[in-house]
Amino acid sequence: MGELSLESTAPALPRRPMPAQLKAGLAIVGAIVLLSLLAPWIAPHPWDTISIRTRFLPPSTTYWFGTDDYGRDVLSRLLMGGRLSLAMGIGATGISVLFGVPVGLIAGYFGGKVDEVLMRIADVLMAIPAIMLGLLVLAVTPPALWKTAVAVGFVYVPLIARVARSVTLGLANVEFVEAARARAESAVHILFREILPNAWPPLIVEASLRVTYAILLGSALSFLGLGAQPPSSDWGLMISEARAFIDRAPWIALAPGLAMCLLVIGINLIGDGLRERLDPRLKSQIARV
Amino acid sequence: MAGYVLRRLFLILLVLFAVSLLVFTITSILPASVAHLILGPFAPPEQVKALELKLGLNDPILVQYWRWATRFMMGDFGESMLMNRPVAPLLAEAVQRSATLGICAFVLIALIGVSLGVIAALRHNRPLDHAISIATYLGIAVPEFFWSIVVILVFAAYLGWLPASGYEPLSAGFSVWLKHLVAPTITLVFAHLAHVSRLTRSSMIEVLASPYVTAARAKGLPERIVVIRHALRNALLPTITVLALDIGRLMGGIVVIETVFAYPGLGRLLVFSIQQRDLPTLQAAILVVAAIFACANLCADLLYAWLNPKIRYGRTVA
Amino acid sequence: MALSIEGLTICYRVPGGTITALSEVSLFVPKGRTLAVVGESGSGKSTVALAVMGLLASEARIPAGRILYEGANLLALSPDARRRLRGAHIAMVFQDPFSVLNPSLRIAEQVGEGLVYHKGFSKQAALARATQLLHEVGIGEATAVGNAYPHELSGGMRQRALIAGALAAEPEFLILDEPTTALDVTIEAQILDLLEELKRRRGLSILFISHNLGVVRRIADEVAVLYAGEVVESGPTVEVFERPLHPYTKGLLAAIPRLAARQARLAAIPGRLPDLRQLPTGCRFEPRCPFAQAPCQKPQTLRGMSGTRTVRCVRAAELASAPWPELGAPPPLPPRRASLDTPAVVATEEVSKTFTLNRGLAALTFEGWRPAIRPVRVRAIDGVSLTIARGEVLGLVGESGSGKTTLGRAILRLINPDGGRVLIAGEDITRTPQAALAPMRRIAQIVFQNPDSSLNPRKTVGEIIARPLQRFAIVPAGEVANRVHALLDRVRLPAHYVDRYPHQMSGGEKQRVGIARAIATDPQFIVCDEPVSALDVSVQAAIINLLADLRDRLNVAYLLISHDISVVAYLADRIAVMYRGRIVENGASEAVLAPPHHPYTEALLSAVPTITRADHDRIRLPLEARHSSKTTGCVFARRCPRRIGPTCDTDAPPVRQAGPGHSVACHLPFASTNQ
Repeated sequence: MGELSLESTAPALPRRPMPAQLKAGLAIVGAIVLLSLLAPWIAPHPWDTISIRTRFLPPSTTYWFGTDDYGRDVLSRLLMGGRLSLAMGIGATGISVLFGVPVGLIAGYFGGKVDEVLMRIADVLMAIPAIMLGLLVLAVTPPALWKTAVAVGFVYVPLIARVARSVTLGLANVEFVEAARARAESAVHILFREILPNAWPPLIVEASLRVTYAILLGSALSFLGLGAQPPSSDWGLMISEARAFIDRAPWIALAPGLAMCLLVIGINLIGDGLRERLDPRLKSQIARV
Repeated sequence: MAGYVLRRLFLILLVLFAVSLLVFTITSILPASVAHLILGPFAPPEQVKALELKLGLNDPILVQYWRWATRFMMGDFGESMLMNRPVAPLLAEAVQRSATLGICAFVLIALIGVSLGVIAALRHNRPLDHAISIATYLGIAVPEFFWSIVVILVFAAYLGWLPASGYEPLSAGFSVWLKHLVAPTITLVFAHLAHVSRLTRSSMIEVLASPYVTAARAKGLPERIVVIRHALRNALLPTITVLALDIGRLMGGIVVIETVFAYPGLGRLLVFSIQQRDLPTLQAAILVVAAIFACANLCADLLYAWLNPKIRYGRTVA
Repeated sequence: MALSIEGLTICYRVPGGTITALSEVSLFVPKGRTLAVVGESGSGKSTVALAVMGLLASEARIPAGRILYEGANLLALSPDARRRLRGAHIAMVFQDPFSVLNPSLRIAEQVGEGLVYHKGFSKQAALARATQLLHEVGIGEATAVGNAYPHELSGGMRQRALIAGALAAEPEFLILDEPTTALDVTIEAQILDLLEELKRRRGLSILFISHNLGVVRRIADEVAVLYAGEVVESGPTVEVFERPLHPYTKGLLAAIPRLAARQARLAAIPGRLPDLRQLPTGCRFEPRCPFAQAPCQKPQTLRGMSGTRTVRCVRAAELASAPWPELGAPPPLPPRRASLDTPAVVATEEVSKTFTLNRGLAALTFEGWRPAIRPVRVRAIDGVSLTIARGEVLGLVGESGSGKTTLGRAILRLINPDGGRVLIAGEDITRTPQAALAPMRRIAQIVFQNPDSSLNPRKTVGEIIARPLQRFAIVPAGEVANRVHALLDRVRLPAHYVDRYPHQMSGGEKQRVGIARAIATDPQFIVCDEPVSALDVSVQAAIINLLADLRDRLNVAYLLISHDISVVAYLADRIAVMYRGRIVENGASEAVLAPPHHPYTEALLSAVPTITRADHDRIRLPLEARHSSKTTGCVFARRCPRRIGPTCDTDAPPVRQAGPGHSVACHLPFASTNQ
């Protein structure tokens, strides 16, 4: 009886369904993205037309979320602002991933002096709380939303680098990486073909959660006046401008606030769902009895 | 252990030095013309020249840095451009007020957040856990500045219980002082509770699943003892790290909260100095913030090292 | 009976179905006796222990069965009543002493806490009693150890402390779940001695769970063999091992390499465990059984045989004297060509490697008030010289801390040696820069220990095996697929495995892929680093056989690193014994396994629990190996039972020839070790 005949029938594992969180998250975020992209076409009223007559109108059938202090339709401004928030989140995270992941990979893989130096630099950048670092960077230049995105991205580079580094450290001494060194593979090959394909699941999860932080930080900076400038309908700016009228017309502030909550919750759900889906696959499926 | 302490101190000094370089670089070198930054792009050239002379902006960079750093270490933080007053006492006052706010908030966040996290972990996957999880999920999704709007709306506008903004010193009366403190504190607590609670929960769940907890149960110890003596002790260690990280986020939160509530603390000073391009105040404020943050982290590290036997007692006995 | 388990069935709900971990299992532990439950991974043996303790996971369901302890059905008791039994009447010692102790509590506190809650002791009284207990389990410096934290102790100490903790509240029944699996064999021997003594002195009834038949032979009066959640055989240990009745037991016993009698070939059990979610109605072992016939398709029941023996096999009686068949012998091969005149493929000369555990500021400590930098240095290998000829297998034996893994890596320049020389195929590669080592890497490869982490989970088997072929351009691109198929065939995996991912394969299959990867470049030398330690016994035999065949067909040399001297003895032509970074004995296998020995080899050989050897006087080593201060004398002197005197501590032992090609580093004259 050959040794191989029966080992060949591995039990087939059932295909695991997409976690509920992931579905919910994708639904929410998908809806927001869609609405934001189509905003110029589906917004019921122009978002930037000032009209004294229609100031401070409460929510009604014509103006679903009411109007603001310049008589502009809050819903339309909300939809246009969505694009800005999404762009902020994705842009800033893109920057931090673009710079942070390679730094983390290199620090984690090469170790030694390289690691020390890179991590000390990261320590210095993280010694100042995030928002203050952002403020510092934006203080020296006239404000604009794109600059805020760059600043936020810059602020989060050390954090992403740290995460990438710890993931790489976990992988750098695994036996299949040693096997690659035993094949005289170059560092580039090892980083990109052995380590990175195994590192990206936790990095993707981290990046998706980072988007929420980027959106929150970016809108906080706009709120403080260092990001988007009037008459932009960035959500943070909308809330900031609505402060003065909070007792008269709370809907001006509540609408963008709730919209932001919804977006952040949606992205968080995606991040959690991804974590559920990506991680367990690497662990053994059959319970040890 | 002593070696550990010294190492951390040394590193902190190094980091603060580097932060000072960073701050100085950004504020003095990055803008094409510092004087124009302060005076605005349309300032007349004589004014610009005068300012440059006054601030010594024409000297080599290293000289400028040296001057600034040595004065700083002597306690002379320069003069605020805006208010024409020395920065140091200004900063001291602001730090004091922010500290009150920050410490109150931190204590509440630590107590409530950790408790919620532990409870949620103990009732893992049961209704109470789900309720707490949902609440915290919402908590992390809501931006601070939004919380502040909500708090103002509810407590000041509708209920009228608390003033919407401002600050009164203790000398004006304890209850008045307290009233002005409550709204910002509550806002900070709401904003940061969720994060601490979630991380405590996952740390606790991990510890509850560890082999030594199972072994403790195998000894027939009452569940209460298993949780407190075995699980909590080890779960709290990572919680210290989490709280230390949260201090940084709390300090960031103070910036926004103080702006909204017009609370005259460090955060508000920082924002003002940025809006008004008051460079000396800005530089000093950031450095002080970094120093405070670094000290807080050091305390957390030392506490962690003290409580973790692996660091405190390093050597092999048998 | 102290403990009776009757008809116990346990299921777990998992995504994808329900796993039946135990099916109507019945076990009996007589008072004052030891019952061993033997099985491989997936047999359900750990579940039995957890069920008795009442510590099953919440996904577990118990649809049927009773667990009777002193007459009372544990499953019918309230959770609180069960909790009171735990520790005070039934205690458990877990497998891994490294993770089972609370890192934040002192040892004495953890040992004594059961007393506070079960017997109402005060804290001081509990600590005092804990110190006594530590002494009872053979810990010399009981007070110091009691005050220490777990991370400050070595593995053997921790396990002793755990045993002390389990016995604190004076239970009558002790469950041990693989208590010595994570320990070195010399320490294992000490712990087993301790258990025997405690059992005798306190009259304990013991349920001992293990996969190691040698340990079971030593310590158990009765044994029950579990397979796929069913008891397939039970009876007195000696009888079951000498005259096994169930084919699975026969297979297990035939798969174990024996030190005493070197076999021609190990018998492997083909196939793998059935899927516990969809169990067959007939005999669960049938697909793998060489004796399977028609009646085996029907459900099997446990039948009594002579005496107290039971067997779950309808053909047991007729097969009573049939041994497990050897696998069809491979075609006769040309005689092994390991000769001493061919040039050595690997040679090391005085190779050393020291690791510094902390660097720079991390090594800052205070001596009194003066600061000083004191880095902790560990000499992993210290002046090791050996040679391996083409086609020869050198077995490197040692326990944890011996440096054997470091040596294997240092030879391949995966770790850079600090001193000495390493020559591969005659070329000195000690100082060659990594970039220039490609030609060496082609002829020198490595097989790793852990099948789960030695394969990139994101690559298919085909990609994993093809990579070395591509990297070294062994064959033109068009030929790669064919060569991959040929390699899969060599390691006896079916061709369609090319598209499989590692997580879809079993441990043994993954290990075969690792071997295929190593032989892809047609190397002259392979470092096999504990190639079978992470595998079940039945799978080990198949891999050992495979390694033996490849050695013969490919004329490749191995450095076979293992802590298991039986495995080494089976495959190796020569054996080198390592202790704390030095080679203490080196020679042909037969020479090393027979006296005269180095005292450490002697102790090692006598500590190995075997199936056949009856109890005779064993050599026990005091203390444990730890990296401590350097010595100019013999590294083994502190623990050596044959230590002559101060010479051993001060003078480095000379390397003397005990026979042709057999060297021993010892001061002792050979005549005295000749027993």
